Amino acid sequence: MAVSPLVMHPTDALQNSRPVSSPLKNINSAQASSNGTPITAPNPSAPVSLPASLDLAEQLNEEEKRKYVKGKKLGEGTYANVYLGHLKSDPSQFVAIKKIKIQKEYTEGMAPDAVREIKHLQELSHPNIISLHSVFSSKDQNLNLVLEYLPLGDLEMLIRDTERVRYGAADIKAWMGMLTRAVWFCHENFVLHRDIKPNNLLIAADGEVKLADFGLARTFSDPYKPMSSNVITRWYRPPELLYGAKHYSGAVDVWSVGLVFAELIIRMPYIAGNTEMHQISLICNAVGTPTEENWPGVTKLPGYTTEGEVHPVRGKDHYMSLFGTVGAEGVDLLRKTLILDPKKRITALEMLKHEWWHRDPKPTRKQDLPRKSGGQEKVGADLKRRPGIVDEDKSSKVARKLDFGAAK
Amino acid sequence: MATEDARYRQSSQYRLWSFAPSHLATLREKTNALAKSHIANRLRASDPTNQSPPNFLTPEEEYTLLNHFTLELLRAAPYCQLPTDIQATAAIFLRRFYVTNSVMTYPPQELIKTCLFFGCKAEGSFIRVQKIADTFPNTTGEMILAAEYILCQGIRFAFDVRHPFRALEGTVMELRSLGDFDDDRINKAHRRTREILKFSPLVTDVYFHYTPSQIMYAALAMADEELVQRMLQEAFSGQGEEAKNKIWGVIQGCKEMLEREPPEKMAKYSNDPETTKAMKALRKKLAKCRDPDRVDLVALQKARREQAAQKPKAKEDADGDGKVFGNGTLDERESKRRKVAQNGGDIFGPPL
Repeated sequence: MAVSPLVMHPTDALQNSRPVSSPLKNINSAQASSNGTPITAPNPSAPVSLPASLDLAEQLNEEEKRKYVKGKKLGEGTYANVYLGHLKSDPSQFVAIKKIKIQKEYTEGMAPDAVREIKHLQELSHPNIISLHSVFSSKDQNLNLVLEYLPLGDLEMLIRDTERVRYGAADIKAWMGMLTRAVWFCHENFVLHRDIKPNNLLIAADGEVKLADFGLARTFSDPYKPMSSNVITRWYRPPELLYGAKHYSGAVDVWSVGLVFAELIIRMPYIAGNTEMHQISLICNAVGTPTEENWPGVTKLPGYTTEGEVHPVRGKDHYMSLFGTVGAEGVDLLRKTLILDPKKRITALEMLKHEWWHRDPKPTRKQDLPRKSGGQEKVGADLKRRPGIVDEDKSSKVARKLDFGAAK
Repeated sequence: MATEDARYRQSSQYRLWSFAPSHLATLREKTNALAKSHIANRLRASDPTNQSPPNFLTPEEEYTLLNHFTLELLRAAPYCQLPTDIQATAAIFLRRFYVTNSVMTYPPQELIKTCLFFGCKAEGSFIRVQKIADTFPNTTGEMILAAEYILCQGIRFAFDVRHPFRALEGTVMELRSLGDFDDDRINKAHRRTREILKFSPLVTDVYFHYTPSQIMYAALAMADEELVQRMLQEAFSGQGEEAKNKIWGVIQGCKEMLEREPPEKMAKYSNDPETTKAMKALRKKLAKCRDPDRVDLVALQKARREQAAQKPKAKEDADGDGKVFGNGTLDERESKRRKVAQNGGDIFGPPL
């Protein structure tokens, strides 16, 4: 899909006369048998005969599909299953194949998450955003997204594994730089991600962090068009969304980035509410209570509430005592991402221009960034998330063997 | 090179859906030829007594019908209360779909509805399928959904369409800030350009050949050429005349295409007896030469689902995991044997 297929493929596709399926598969279709007698559909429950040959679009689809070999299942979710895969032409080139399940409850055709994810990943090409190599549909009309394979887990795994993973200010700076660039690029292309959190930040083999999961993303709205405020995982949701704002901006993502930043430093979620109300009260406590003084117009938002006493906005000292390990400049950047009034909150572009990046320590080079320790044996126990290198090798052998089966 | 240009080149609209006119013509001819041979084979196989193929549509006739159905889509869209950008996205989906699919293969009157529905989705507005179905006579939600996958595959999963509408708003702002023209003149040109953009680019091939800003300038030039000249002068100040002239040449090429389908055609179209007659003849011809297997999309969808459901065993094996090394092959053979039996007689003889 990343290559321009329509320039080349139609001719390619036409040369592809090899039947894709076994001859038995078309038994229902009205093909002439050798003696010229037409075979009528023998199955009365399927009176319609499936077209025997593939049309151009189907041929193109088959061709995309045949470029990859699907291997073992890496993960299972309610929305999609993820498989390891590799390029047929080069088994050392791994991909992740995300097969989107048909949602029984959603009776309106293709799932919104899939539409959003495909739409935006088709357009965004950046080193810190997961790349979408291809999309194809399988026989059962399930969507398969061929994504960049990111084998080293996600930032959440690193943050949580306080026993074995050590990292410092320079590492945080490198990761934050990658995250900020990803978010800047989204906003530069008029896309809101709306679900930034540590387990949506995946790590490539070379250590590069990539923003993934665009299932809630959308393009910037026109001024008169309302948007849903029910987006972003609660812990990372900004106050304006908790208050039900229908018109908002890239500032919603910046708040999430700020909370990822805080979490990287203290190695636990900074504002982890159990309910939306709880989330609001935790924000009031940790950051300050939104009022007309610090946020003109906030009381007019549909869901505006405060509980208990009004907390003044926390000062620099408070942040220094909690997050001082990233230095005064780092703390300054963090505070600017957590400004209550979204209009005053720092933008992704301004973040990139912040002084902190230039201060010592210099960000760690990506190849030197900490990885999940514990070796490959331990990773086996962690299979629920993502497998390590040893498993990959094993499964790729399996997949290569399977190739013969798939070519039938 | 301007970075905006580089960024546009990364868009799916440029990568997948922009062609030179000759290339587009070749694609359409290929699609037409493929459909013809497929349908002819299909008919010959099902009725060996009648070996003469039907009178097929030519690529030109397919194009005329495509334009006709694009107009039908644009006429229907307001009844679904869809905003301009969704209408435009739906229209472009329809036109993209029929680059690699023949009008003879999939019925355009059905695809129109699916394009409108999926256009909403692609623009982030998840309206209920029933709302679109209610707009059309004798239409169920199931019928609209039946073609959704076919459509998505046909448009190569490129769901983001870049339109020239916002570009126009931006240019109008720039023209105002220049202060060279009075507001009335700008407003008049603005209105007229919008009118053109809502129609002419959607019933011509300009989206395949030009960028959104080129389309916008071409439409603006139809409304008030001097405004475009002033903008170009501003944009290319300090650069050579050559670069400016080159762009102007491109804009003029686009303008010529747009002028073939002025927005006035929309109103005239439905009550012009001559076009009505011509369309009636073409539709009649289409009815006689279309793919018999793909007229009823609901039934086709059902058959496909059933086929997929019938094959879970073999499918899983192809999908992977260790089964193949164990008794997987046996399982597979067994499942095939069962299926063959179920289908009433093995054409390769009885099982061993």
